[in-house]
Amino acid sequence: MTQKSKIETPKQRQNRHKAMEAATVLNKIKHDFKVPPKAMDYFYDLYERVHCKQHSLHADRVKVGTMCIQVPSEIIYALDAVPVRLCNGFYTDDDIGSDLLPAKSCPLVKATIGQFLSNNFSDKPDVIVSPTTCDQKAKSGAIIEDMGYSVFDMEFPRTKESEESREYWRRSVRKFAKELSMDLNKKLTKKKLKEAIKKVGYAQHLYHQLNVLRKHTNAPILGIDMFLVTNAFFFDKIDHWIEATAALLKETEQRAKDKVNAAGKRSPRIVYTGSPPIFPNLKIPLLIEQADAVIVADETCSSNRMFNDMVSVDEWFIYDMVDSVADRYLKGCTCPIFTKNDDRKRRIVDLVKAYNADGVVYQAFAGCQVYEMEQRSVLEAMEKEGIPVLYIESDYSPSHLGQLTTRIEAFVESLKNRRRKKS
Amino acid sequence: MKYFAGIDIGSTAIKVALVDENRQLTGYKISASGSMFYKYAKQSLKEMLDELGIDEKDVVYTVSTGYGRKLFKEADENISEITANAMGAAAAAQGECEIKTIINIGGQDSKAISLDNEGNVVNFAMNDRCAAGTGKFLDVVAMNLELEVDELGEQHFKSEGTPLAINSTCAVFAESEIIGLLGNDHSVEDIVSGVHYSIAKRIIKLVKRVGIKEGIYFDGGPALNTGLVQAIENELGKEIFIPRFPQITTAYGAAILAHEAYEYENSAE
Repeated sequence: MTQKSKIETPKQRQNRHKAMEAATVLNKIKHDFKVPPKAMDYFYDLYERVHCKQHSLHADRVKVGTMCIQVPSEIIYALDAVPVRLCNGFYTDDDIGSDLLPAKSCPLVKATIGQFLSNNFSDKPDVIVSPTTCDQKAKSGAIIEDMGYSVFDMEFPRTKESEESREYWRRSVRKFAKELSMDLNKKLTKKKLKEAIKKVGYAQHLYHQLNVLRKHTNAPILGIDMFLVTNAFFFDKIDHWIEATAALLKETEQRAKDKVNAAGKRSPRIVYTGSPPIFPNLKIPLLIEQADAVIVADETCSSNRMFNDMVSVDEWFIYDMVDSVADRYLKGCTCPIFTKNDDRKRRIVDLVKAYNADGVVYQAFAGCQVYEMEQRSVLEAMEKEGIPVLYIESDYSPSHLGQLTTRIEAFVESLKNRRRKKS
Repeated sequence: MKYFAGIDIGSTAIKVALVDENRQLTGYKISASGSMFYKYAKQSLKEMLDELGIDEKDVVYTVSTGYGRKLFKEADENISEITANAMGAAAAAQGECEIKTIINIGGQDSKAISLDNEGNVVNFAMNDRCAAGTGKFLDVVAMNLELEVDELGEQHFKSEGTPLAINSTCAVFAESEIIGLLGNDHSVEDIVSGVHYSIAKRIIKLVKRVGIKEGIYFDGGPALNTGLVQAIENELGKEIFIPRFPQITTAYGAAILAHEAYEYENSAE
């Protein structure tokens, strides 16, 4: 009889598995590399609290769960609520979500659905906003709604060049602002929205300052640490995030001055693009940096793309502000869901040049059709510029690291060789 | 005399190769990987040295490569099998053929590697995840047909007419497909040649991803299978170069890299 009490509930088991996943990755980041900036401790601790111990950060606030980067957080903050990005990186949840979705779906979507299915949140969202960006996300909204959640489908266009699509999206954002305001019973005021735009803009500004330090020949900060910083923006209290990032910026500036190198002497410099690495699925970035390369910049929606473009407002009137917010989310977006995507290719090439990178690693989640499809044209564009690219398909599963390691190491070796021949 | 060792710990076999100061192949040994990669690799190296009558102390630099490369703690360096394979192929074909493309079929994966004029890796592609169309697949086929793996080549040439279509190169699915063909009274040799063509088609898809440049080198255990070689040549419409010892190209490359690294370290001082 005593043995029976030992059986865990599914929730306990899931939490244990998730804590293990998170702790394994955190330990690797903390201990497998040279000394990180001290200010990173805030972020390590944050992940430990939220992902290993399931601590809630926003218990007293209304939480708006966002299914994609395209939900304007400025509007949510202006309505006194907290945006919590639900894009999920846990293999445990991916496994749970596979019960409901086709086998060949995207692991990120499966993990997101899996978290709803297991109803296992450190901060459970009160309302969910699901933009109709990619097919799998668009269809996920309805699945989640069936589980009894309140879901708002936010219509998103698949082209961005046309005037029609811009107008369509502006209307969609206006509708979102209106409905959320009604739903939360809060008025969207000029003052509040302006404050929110300024605050998110300041967070973006800090990220930019930090990011340009990665242009130094001696990388003052590793790519995996940067992914932790940007990923934390998904769920952290924005004021805390700003404070911690400001401290990290100050320390990293000093490190850059002191020519501290977080990577190796001859580490090839990598620009990372493709399906978003989300904690704890930092598998590929970790393998890259363990193979003695360093990620100096990225083009992903879990990192760089969140901070790329700021809202630019002409007139600080409420309607102008809402439209400006809408424009920032559509025009700057380089997601592969769009019909054509020259912006993305241009951005990757620009990053390679500006950050003096030796090569590009392009990851697509197996099942993420749009990233898989866009691979060919991006690879062609890189080839034209003479930029070496490694294309990797991967998922959240912790196995098969052997083959991935071989590919990444061989790529890094070839970049080193190339550089040696050049000099 | 100083010697340099390359140890290639693969999924199916451990290959060790030794070169001297002139990068001449002094000896090599191939053994099964089994379940204890590290132990068997050490054993294999020792046995080779004993057979050659070379003192372990004269081996001054060791490079490990292959799937289990990180397990071999005594190695001075470890390097991915792609870099080592490129190095070994260029050396093995030296004076006979300038290698631009490498096809490698191993125990559980297959690769296509593209080289530049100086023998550097410029691009490569690997099969994803499963053992489809690899050495393991040939093992399963041979077992189903009550043949030894080294009889497959001979059987292939007995086949007359159009090779049978085998649609799956997955070891598990192909098994039932082969049983189906046997049930329809197809001959063993026609099935064997069908299998070879299905592997050839698959590997060529991989090669196309890196670009087919002439000076094509084929290595790994399955390169000993003359039937498979013919199928790949026919599918490509091009001649391919088979080294004298196709199984040890990568270990040989690692041994050369060991020599290179040793020279570099000692010249730097």
